Amino acid sequence: MPLLTRIVPIALVLAAWELVARTGWVNPNVFPPVTEIVMRWFAMFADGRIYAPLWGTLWRALAGLAAAIAVGVPLGLLMGRVRWAEWFFEPLFSFGFPLPKIALIPLYVSWFGVFSLSKVMLIFTDCLFPMVLFSYHGARGISPMYLWSAQSRGTGRVRMLWRVVLPLSLASIYDGVQVSVVVAVLVAVVSEMVSGGGGLGELMIRSYRYGDVRTAFATLVTISLVGFALFKLAQWLRGSLLHWHVAEA
Amino acid sequence: MPASACLEMRSIGMRYGEGAQAVQALSEIDLDIKEHEFVTIVGPSGCGKSTLLYLVGGFLRPSSGSLCLRGRPITGPGSDRGIVFQRYSLFPWLTVRSNIGYGLDEQGVARAERNRIVDEYVRLVHLQGFEDRYPRELSGGMQQRVALAQTLACQPDILLMDEPFGALDAQTRRILQDEVRRIWRQGAKTVLFVTHDVEEAVALGTRIVVMAARPGRIKEVLERGFDVADGEEFETNSAFAALKLHIWRSVKAEVEAAHA
Amino acid sequence: MKAFPVVKIIPLLLLLAAWQAASVLGLLPASVLPPFSDVAVSLGAMLRSGELMANTLASFARAGAGFFIAAIVGVAVGLLMARRRAVERAIEPILLLIYPVPKPAMIPLFMVWLGIGDASKVAVIALACLLPIVIATFNGARGVDPMLIWSAQARGTSERRLLWRVVLPAALPQIAAGVRTAIAIAIIVLVSSEFISSEAGLGYLIFSYGGVGADDAMLAVVIYLAALGFLLDRFYLAGLRRLMSWHAFAH
Repeated sequence: MPLLTRIVPIALVLAAWELVARTGWVNPNVFPPVTEIVMRWFAMFADGRIYAPLWGTLWRALAGLAAAIAVGVPLGLLMGRVRWAEWFFEPLFSFGFPLPKIALIPLYVSWFGVFSLSKVMLIFTDCLFPMVLFSYHGARGISPMYLWSAQSRGTGRVRMLWRVVLPLSLASIYDGVQVSVVVAVLVAVVSEMVSGGGGLGELMIRSYRYGDVRTAFATLVTISLVGFALFKLAQWLRGSLLHWHVAEA
Repeated sequence: MPASACLEMRSIGMRYGEGAQAVQALSEIDLDIKEHEFVTIVGPSGCGKSTLLYLVGGFLRPSSGSLCLRGRPITGPGSDRGIVFQRYSLFPWLTVRSNIGYGLDEQGVARAERNRIVDEYVRLVHLQGFEDRYPRELSGGMQQRVALAQTLACQPDILLMDEPFGALDAQTRRILQDEVRRIWRQGAKTVLFVTHDVEEAVALGTRIVVMAARPGRIKEVLERGFDVADGEEFETNSAFAALKLHIWRSVKAEVEAAHA
Repeated sequence: MKAFPVVKIIPLLLLLAAWQAASVLGLLPASVLPPFSDVAVSLGAMLRSGELMANTLASFARAGAGFFIAAIVGVAVGLLMARRRAVERAIEPILLLIYPVPKPAMIPLFMVWLGIGDASKVAVIALACLLPIVIATFNGARGVDPMLIWSAQARGTSERRLLWRVVLPAALPQIAAGVRTAIAIAIIVLVSSEFISSEAGLGYLIFSYGGVGADDAMLAVVIYLAALGFLLDRFYLAGLRRLMSWHAFAH
């Protein structure tokens, strides 16, 4: 039911857009009608030229995200439970947060070249911050009695981290994943727009340079759908992964 | 044959904070728990009964005094002192089976043996058929049974219980009290049980320690002197009622003194 | 300004010290990363020559303009949406359409519509900042205790005064959180747009220095930008605390 009440107003907006574009009130080469954009979008899938860029952006985003999870989660958990780790790393992440990591694109390009590696590294850097932050907060929020229970059942300090702290932090960590997946797609696209090397971002810039507004819009739609789909996928997976989870009252 | 001392507490003191703001949570606690005893600790809020339990568990370090378990000083937590909390005893991401088997897994027990032992404890707490459920699927009472089984499976020297039934309704509490009593009798374990419920303290404890607050100290120690049978309606037992009244007045006096 | 634990700087200093040591000892070749001392010298030179100041002004003029447009429009729209169902129904679908679109990806489209100059940048920054502010204002205004509103209305307060004197102050904490997010977004979108096309600004400096291999100058600007972002956030929080206390007294 809520879906229907959402769709109708959106449909109205799109209809208004269509009308405005068709009546020539705005230049249709600057602001094309919705139907033409949709047709171009289908055409791009039909003739297959969307697949390579789509895959490029997708795998970079996921690779960078995976790396950020692999490094960020253990680091965040460690920071949450070990004093010196928190003392050393927390200021670094606090200071790093306000810097748009995108500003590092030229540096990464000089280190890793103009193709995929520099982009994946940038996505990794950008997703690292939320992954560390959410893992850190998850680990900090654990009730000490859980840890005491585990200790009185013979769990050592090291095993404690991944046997007890990790599962208890999982809900927060997963919030981080949901945030990061959107960031990953965004950073992938922006880095592609700036440094080329294939992907939806480069497609975007190329269609702009050729004045091909319909393709630019269609690419934008694709980018949005990719971000949206991944976010929804993450949300859906949460149900299976965290089926045992009961939110603390 | 006199029972040997299982737990020895000497001059335990626990102090929080510094100088004028310092709080003496516990002061000069001297207590011995013998093997196979079921000792309940009862007292008003803030008397430090839970703190004392946590000291025995090794989660806190006393400001002064010493604790020894079977002659060995207590320096930290360990599986020789099992604890059941009111909440946070069970691991929500593990099934009942995995929860109970947790301690065994830590000890490196092989899977087949582990499953056998787990089945034994599942039977002990009457949870057959629920082995593959997750804690969120269980009622509060069932969760505490699993917590109990999980702790017992590690075969601790002493069983510590921190108001374990406080969050349960009265009927479930009675049933679980009977369970604990039955398990204690069967396994002849040593139990140290903290509660604020005077009736529970008398129903379970063969020896009852009454504590007072500010500073936390032992006010009196009473031998129950009579047995309580499982399922007994101790409301009809006059010895029970007398003891309960005595302790209730003792605790009440402390609460009133604190408010004076 | 709330006391900032100075101890927190130590890990950062340690990192910088390690960086310098690695460069000096030859462990870190200059082609990979210039020594921190070079970067610091470069930073000093750019500060003295006014190059940084000029470009900072260019960048912040754009970001500031976009941000302020978004703030004013966003708060107004958010308040109206909270108070009038009709407005909410009209605006919500537009928000839903824009929300999943990554705004930096819209930069080329804005350049088609508004050219490669400042207008396109200001517009995309405004759009990017608009969403968090509208949503935060809407949520904040909706969350206002109806009792507050009813008592004011019973005293004959006009709708306009009501919005300004009751709803807005009550929604302020949430609006403030949305604004803080918007500031961070503004900086990201600004730098992205300057990378893609511009001839002035901090992003432009980073991009062009990076392009000619002047890594020490590029890193100097990056560090400067990081410090600027950090200070901006701190000043924002401090200013907010000041504003909240004034408002408490004014009522």
